[in-house]
Amino acid sequence: MSIVEVRNIVKKYPSFELKNVSFNVSEGRITGFIGRNGAGKTTTIKAMLNLIHPDGGEVDYFGKSLLGNEMDIKKHIGYSTGAVNWYPRKKIKDIAAIVSHFYDTWDVDAYNKYLRMFNLDETKTPLELSEGMKVKFNLLMALSHKAEVLILDEPTSGLDPFSRNELLDVFEELKRHGVAVFFSTHIISDIEKCADDIVYISKGSIVAAMTKADFTAKYSGEGESLEDTMLRMERGEFDE
Amino acid sequence: MSNIMLKELKLSASPLAFIFIAFGLMFLLPGYPILCSAFFVTLGLFQSFQTAREANDIVFSALLPIAKKDVVKGKFIFVCFIEACAFVLMVICAIVRMTALRESPVYLQNALMNANLFALGAALVIYGLFNVIFLGGFFKTAYKLGKPFVTYIIVGFIMIGVFEALHHIPGLGQLNAFGSDSLGLQVVTLIAGALIFAVMTLISYKASCSNFEKIDL
Repeated sequence: MSIVEVRNIVKKYPSFELKNVSFNVSEGRITGFIGRNGAGKTTTIKAMLNLIHPDGGEVDYFGKSLLGNEMDIKKHIGYSTGAVNWYPRKKIKDIAAIVSHFYDTWDVDAYNKYLRMFNLDETKTPLELSEGMKVKFNLLMALSHKAEVLILDEPTSGLDPFSRNELLDVFEELKRHGVAVFFSTHIISDIEKCADDIVYISKGSIVAAMTKADFTAKYSGEGESLEDTMLRMERGEFDE
Repeated sequence: MSNIMLKELKLSASPLAFIFIAFGLMFLLPGYPILCSAFFVTLGLFQSFQTAREANDIVFSALLPIAKKDVVKGKFIFVCFIEACAFVLMVICAIVRMTALRESPVYLQNALMNANLFALGAALVIYGLFNVIFLGGFFKTAYKLGKPFVTYIIVGFIMIGVFEALHHIPGLGQLNAFGSDSLGLQVVTLIAGALIFAVMTLISYKASCSNFEKIDL
């Protein structure tokens, strides 16, 4: 079942444009949002979080429009990015204590569970965390208020292969708990490893939005890996 | 609302914002332009906004399950809270100077502005200028701090100069009244200062809410 519907998002900048971006994110599935640097991934995610104002289009969560239901919807979604440090000099436990006041769904047991699962030391500050641990810290905040959808902007970028692999395993674990994981990446092997669905964006347009199996069946040549398929498609060579 | 205030106090604020509340005590200084105390309080607030920007506080707040206008409201309430704390110190200092120390030669020979109810009203006008120029200017981008702060410094110091000069103008000498002299005038000027503060803060808040709603973060 689709719990996030992105429909015809348009956003024009002087040198870049999102063109009618549409796709769905389904419950209990991992959706990989792939595209090269500058393809429009972060802009799309910002539109999904109402951080930017699209020139057109709509985003629905749980069948309700984001505009007009923003406060309610944000209680059920979590966001993380590897690139941003929130309150770098505050202790994790102090940040969590404040964040918990904003959510009536905040679950102390879940907080402690994921703290252990992610091997996070709550007395550390975000500044003291490695890149991978920063993402886990963001996931901890989201999962402690029982987010049903996780929107993750390049969570694996900048991680070493071991940490990346570990994080992708965490996504699998969350999926088993029924959480919908939507993550952007420019690393095709991330998609290959754990995504159920693929949303492929190029130059501001969605090229494909379907299950990984359908994508491979539709676009991959005989014996061609997903990476080779996408590199070929990015060159503008389609072989449907 | 208490959630966002708690976040402002515990996560967003710089310790300097709290420490600089103590500048309210400058109302006790003789031979010093006491309205600078209001400026120093706002300097601590400016530092706090810088610290918050480095911590990506605005985007963090916008992602919380609150309305965008509550993000703005949180900042305004925090600023007004710090201003109010320092104002309480200024009031205490002014009352001490107007009562126990009213005959003190060091204050009677003070060439600069006296600490009285007019001075308190003037301090509120300086706060109001900060709220309208700096806060209102900041929320046009939710990022740029320098230009609104420099504008505030220029306008703020011109106004401090004007307030300092007023009692030297023939006919306005009573603005520098000691103790309970010209109490009616003093009370009126304090109320006028409070009204100007309230109007400037409210206008700035409304404009900030409207601007922040339109910003792409």
